[in-house]
Amino acid sequence: MSTPDAPRSLAEALRASDDAAMVALLRTRPDLLTPVPNDLTQLATRAGTRASVVRALERLDRFTQQVAEALAVAREPATYAEVLGLLAGDDGEGADAAEVRDAFDHALATLRGQALVWGGDDRLRLVRTARELLAPTPQRPSPTGLGPTVAEAMAGMSPGRVQSLVAAAGLAATHDAVSAVEALTGLFTDRKRMAALLDEAPTESVEILSRLVWGPPYGQVTAEPAAHLRWLIDRGLLLPTAPGTVVLPREAALHLRGGRAHRVLEAAAPPVRAAREHRPQVVDATAAGQAHMALATVEELLKDWDEGGPAVLRAGGLSVRDLKRTAVALDVPEPQAAFWVELAYAAGLLAADGETDERYAATPAYDTWQELPAAERWARLATAWLTATRTAGLVGGRDSKDRTLSALGPGLDRAAAPEIRHRVLHLLADLPEGSAPAPDSLSARLRWERPPGAGASDLRSRLAGWTLDEAELLGVTGRGALSSHARALLAGGPEQLPPPLRGGSPVHPPAHPGPQGGPGADGARPGPQGGPGAGQAEAARLLAPLLPDPLDHVLLQADLTAVAPGPLQRPLADALTVLADVESKGGATVYRFTPGSVRRALDAGQTASDLHAFLAAHSRTPVPQPLTYLIDDVARKHGHLRIGAASAYVRCDDEGVLNEILADKRAQGLRLRRLAPTVLATQADPAALLDGLRSLGFAPSAESAEGDVLITRAHSHRTPPRTAPEPVPDGPPLPDTTLIDAAVRAIRAGDLASTTPRKTTTPTTGELPRTTPAETLATMQAAVMTGEALWIGYVNAEGAASQRVIAPVRVEGGFVTAYDHTADEVRTYPLHRVTGVAELADE
Amino acid sequence: MFGLAKGHPLVNGPLIVQSDKTLLLEVDHDRADACRRAIAPFAELERAPEHIHTYRVTPLGLWNARAAGHDAEQVVDALVEFSRYPVPHALLVDVAETMARYGRLTLSKHPVHGLVLTSTDRPVLEEILRSKKVQPLVGTRIDPDTVAVHPSERGQIKQTLLKLGWPAEDLAGYVDGEAHKIDLCEDGWALRPYQRQAVEGFWHGGSGVVVLPCGAGKTLVGAGAMAEAKATTLILVTNTVSARQWKHELVKRTSLTEDEIGEYSGTKKEIRPVTIATYQVLTTRRKGVYPHLELFDSRDWGLILYDEVHLLPAPVFKFTADLQARRRLGLTATLVREDGRESDVFSLIGPKRFDAPWKEIEAQGYIAPADCVEVRVNLTDSERLAYATAEAEEKYRFCATTATKRKVTEALVRKHQGQQTLVIGQYIDQLDELGEHLDAPVIKGETTNAQREKLFDAFRQGEISVLVVSKVANFSIDLPEATVAIQVSGTFGSRQEEAQRLGRVLRPKADGHEARFYSVVARDTIDQDFAAHRQRFLAEQGYAYRILDADAVLAEE
Repeated sequence: MSTPDAPRSLAEALRASDDAAMVALLRTRPDLLTPVPNDLTQLATRAGTRASVVRALERLDRFTQQVAEALAVAREPATYAEVLGLLAGDDGEGADAAEVRDAFDHALATLRGQALVWGGDDRLRLVRTARELLAPTPQRPSPTGLGPTVAEAMAGMSPGRVQSLVAAAGLAATHDAVSAVEALTGLFTDRKRMAALLDEAPTESVEILSRLVWGPPYGQVTAEPAAHLRWLIDRGLLLPTAPGTVVLPREAALHLRGGRAHRVLEAAAPPVRAAREHRPQVVDATAAGQAHMALATVEELLKDWDEGGPAVLRAGGLSVRDLKRTAVALDVPEPQAAFWVELAYAAGLLAADGETDERYAATPAYDTWQELPAAERWARLATAWLTATRTAGLVGGRDSKDRTLSALGPGLDRAAAPEIRHRVLHLLADLPEGSAPAPDSLSARLRWERPPGAGASDLRSRLAGWTLDEAELLGVTGRGALSSHARALLAGGPEQLPPPLRGGSPVHPPAHPGPQGGPGADGARPGPQGGPGAGQAEAARLLAPLLPDPLDHVLLQADLTAVAPGPLQRPLADALTVLADVESKGGATVYRFTPGSVRRALDAGQTASDLHAFLAAHSRTPVPQPLTYLIDDVARKHGHLRIGAASAYVRCDDEGVLNEILADKRAQGLRLRRLAPTVLATQADPAALLDGLRSLGFAPSAESAEGDVLITRAHSHRTPPRTAPEPVPDGPPLPDTTLIDAAVRAIRAGDLASTTPRKTTTPTTGELPRTTPAETLATMQAAVMTGEALWIGYVNAEGAASQRVIAPVRVEGGFVTAYDHTADEVRTYPLHRVTGVAELADE
Repeated sequence: MFGLAKGHPLVNGPLIVQSDKTLLLEVDHDRADACRRAIAPFAELERAPEHIHTYRVTPLGLWNARAAGHDAEQVVDALVEFSRYPVPHALLVDVAETMARYGRLTLSKHPVHGLVLTSTDRPVLEEILRSKKVQPLVGTRIDPDTVAVHPSERGQIKQTLLKLGWPAEDLAGYVDGEAHKIDLCEDGWALRPYQRQAVEGFWHGGSGVVVLPCGAGKTLVGAGAMAEAKATTLILVTNTVSARQWKHELVKRTSLTEDEIGEYSGTKKEIRPVTIATYQVLTTRRKGVYPHLELFDSRDWGLILYDEVHLLPAPVFKFTADLQARRRLGLTATLVREDGRESDVFSLIGPKRFDAPWKEIEAQGYIAPADCVEVRVNLTDSERLAYATAEAEEKYRFCATTATKRKVTEALVRKHQGQQTLVIGQYIDQLDELGEHLDAPVIKGETTNAQREKLFDAFRQGEISVLVVSKVANFSIDLPEATVAIQVSGTFGSRQEEAQRLGRVLRPKADGHEARFYSVVARDTIDQDFAAHRQRFLAEQGYAYRILDADAVLAEE
């Protein structure tokens, strides 16, 4: 920005900057790129639009915002020293001064880089839109708590009143209102004279001033103010803004504040404190234990849904009841259940099956995923979690239309989520290994980095809280500290995600395709920039030795339990889950054998001898006699009764049994009748019959039409191939380097074309000026800044063309508000009706 | 923070921490004993089968540990030190938070206001004072952190606060009671090591419950406690026979004489320095009042002993709440209460002060090893038909008393001819019939105490070798030489009754041979379901049942 000739507009400042700066600008403000601007004037115009400026300001850290606020209350253009003075105060703090100066330099560079500030150090200008947004107005008090300047507050005051003010302040009388204002401003900004003036003030008046000094600067007065108020009003220390309202002018407030624009200057980022220190091994082991739990939970969830999961609500998502049921099945609280479900969804492991009676089910990717080694399975899950925009923490809350947000349902995407997850984890990574952060220091840091604006603030801190909770659940952190495998995962991914593409007023359609193409068939999405493959592999490598090895044995006990003292190999675990009920989970699994569970195994096609062999093969301890007896006893009765499917029959070689059934009152509901000495028939549904007889204590087995025993275990239910949901950022995607470079070249070329010196076409009288809309806008904005009058061609609503001379005051939202010299009043013109614009020849 | 001395502690410890807050301890592990000692103060032993013992971490257990002077860091250390896998962070946090709740409230004696409840955490005091259940128990607010408590509500408020999750630390102390000299006369015998530990554990803690298997000498633990207290003692027992046995034992084992021990029962109303009363007489109601409850106030008792505390009836519970200033000792074989009021026992009598797995005491030779056998009886076709048609409430009675069972029982008695055999049942008809077929006397509710004692005596002397008893014999009857017990029916699925009945045969045998416990069960009926439920407690204590077919028993003959 060190050009010999000071730039006269933002466009000129941009023109002077090098390509690297331009690339950086487009990277931080990608919204400027859609569509690619024709030239630098257009780029500058777009960079000055309200929506884009709001978005850029929101993304600044606290100190940079403070610098922008200071610029907004400073003189325009301001000098470097003036702004620094507003930040550091008149005295400039001794020890911190250098620190503040460094931070200020950095912030100023950021603001220049983002095209929010332009001009050399002696002529710093905040982009006009930003100044309008940040400067104090009665409707929107500034974060600085400062009021309007003396000049602003005294505009429109009667000359008599001005004179009496000047006289009361002890200044030389002048008849010129402008010089009177200048004199008063001069007094207020002169520390010595001002101090002398205030020394005379009554104590109550000083008290009033101290109440207003840090804002809000407005106060109410009655028609007959008390003496001490009178004293202030007489001297212009309080200036009337409306009937009954007075304001402390900015210059006076700054004097009282010692020149500071902010009460508390937050120059340095608050550090994240470590609350506890653990040995890194303990952290890694705890995280690995949790990672193991995470895998087990996801597998259990999908196993639970294996034979057809819960139905999809009409509006999409999982019903509250199904979520409750899932939570009970997983033995976790509901919010956690929502997290696991969303995690599996984000990783592409489950989806809706798309059939008419739509249900959730595992995707084919789940089967592939299951085949992977445990550590890799975890790495896939963790990567999916890091990049997902879906936010499980919102489940159970309500959206803006007061509809409940359901798990897997719509409305859970939050574009800021991946960015905050990365930010939180990177902050954790910056702590020494094994340190768990103090949550309040972490959230203070996040607030500083992105000060909460209006409204959305709550979401970011909630997201950060969820991130910490979910990271612990997933085994990314252990005891609150980042584990080394997660560190590897982060290191492999992008250092920083783009600034979140969020904002109150999106200029561009929010729905954009994700940054990457569809996920691979394995269901795990490669992260942005395609980098994390290496991170995933490294994380898996670090995690693998920490995960317990699957065991091939259990311990059988005489109280009919089996204890697996660790995770079991998959086929063994599957078989055991059929043969016994799970009683307790965790590091180990406790199974209990019951007649029901043994019957289930027999129903699944096993024979008693299979079961004996299975137990003998996998038990480290002798098979207890009661268990052997239990299996034989159930097997003895199993299949004793046979039930037909052809609406329906019971047959049994033992007439006594049939007699017994028929005699049983409880069997009446089944409407059985004797078909033959050994056969009963019924109109009841075979399944109901089966259940009915089981409830009577029999162990019937179903029979096919050919008389074979039907295997009643259902098949696994799968969706058709499904891709994982894409993250849904609500702004334009981060342009990649190629696109930005191309854009910069295109803008430069277009700019050269439009700015090549050519013969100036001075408009001849009688001819409407013609300029392109972009030029029109740029000229208008320049005129707003310089306060010059313009000559425009204008077509009114009836189509009649006219020429006017106007002095633009404000350009906003497609309208220009201007003082119309032709009509001698302030008017607003739609920009699209302005056919062209030309500067007036120098008078 | 964690004392991780030997190698990598996170690999291969004996303990596995489960997500439902149970702890699995691998018994055969080298460090199993060290681990057991480390976790015993705060975790309840829930199951002790052969390979893996299950402990449970409960808020109550954690608070008891706090009361005994352990802090959260010790608990966390123990878990982390011995755990095979990393302990979930959430569980450690939960342990610390739960333990931090204890001691925020304390009950203490105030020199002016008497019993007061004090808090170190004002919001907690505000929270509990807003509870409707606490309001009637407290008096005036003395200062922001202190509130007066009616002395009579000391137990009640402790119980209520425990339920609210803010257990109060009771620092109000105990009254010494009226002194009375009691000594153990250890001539030719001595307290067994575990009995001594139990007495010490109790005395150190002030009040509490001692859990020991049947036959392990709980009476002596009581006598030991009395010798420590050296004060007048009220002993509450289940029935008169039991009362006489306590008296007999105390005279034999301590310096007390017959005259110093009174019996307070339906027939006698003696109040002496040591008084033995039955629950039954205490809970007798006349015109809506309990006339005998004044017994509690009739002397300045220094110690109150509750025998078979798991049977403590509700009115006695209520009255016990008012006796918080006196030392209380509960004795039982199982803390399993079928009514689920275990926590009332803890809050009103005191925490568990001593507990030893049955098998451990068996290993030391103090109780006999037992072979438990379930004999499955097939119903005949006509019985099955009758069973299927029986009304729901009659079903258990029907299958529990089938004729087939009688045949099997007879066969079992014949098999163990010459050994002292008890046949235990629930239904009087069945017992009478069995008595007739076995030619054995029957003891049931209507048998007079004199007759009972006479029969028991004859049984002890070996004059009678088979005795048929109803549930009156469930508790506190000393039958030293019973080696075989045959259970033909029981009180539905009562685990506690099963344990008591097994206890009948667990007293060490003179010749050191194994006791037998048979349970005769009708196959494929609810009798079998109940039996499975009843056996669960014993199976979890390591007494595995073998299952035999009745045909096999009958074929042996």
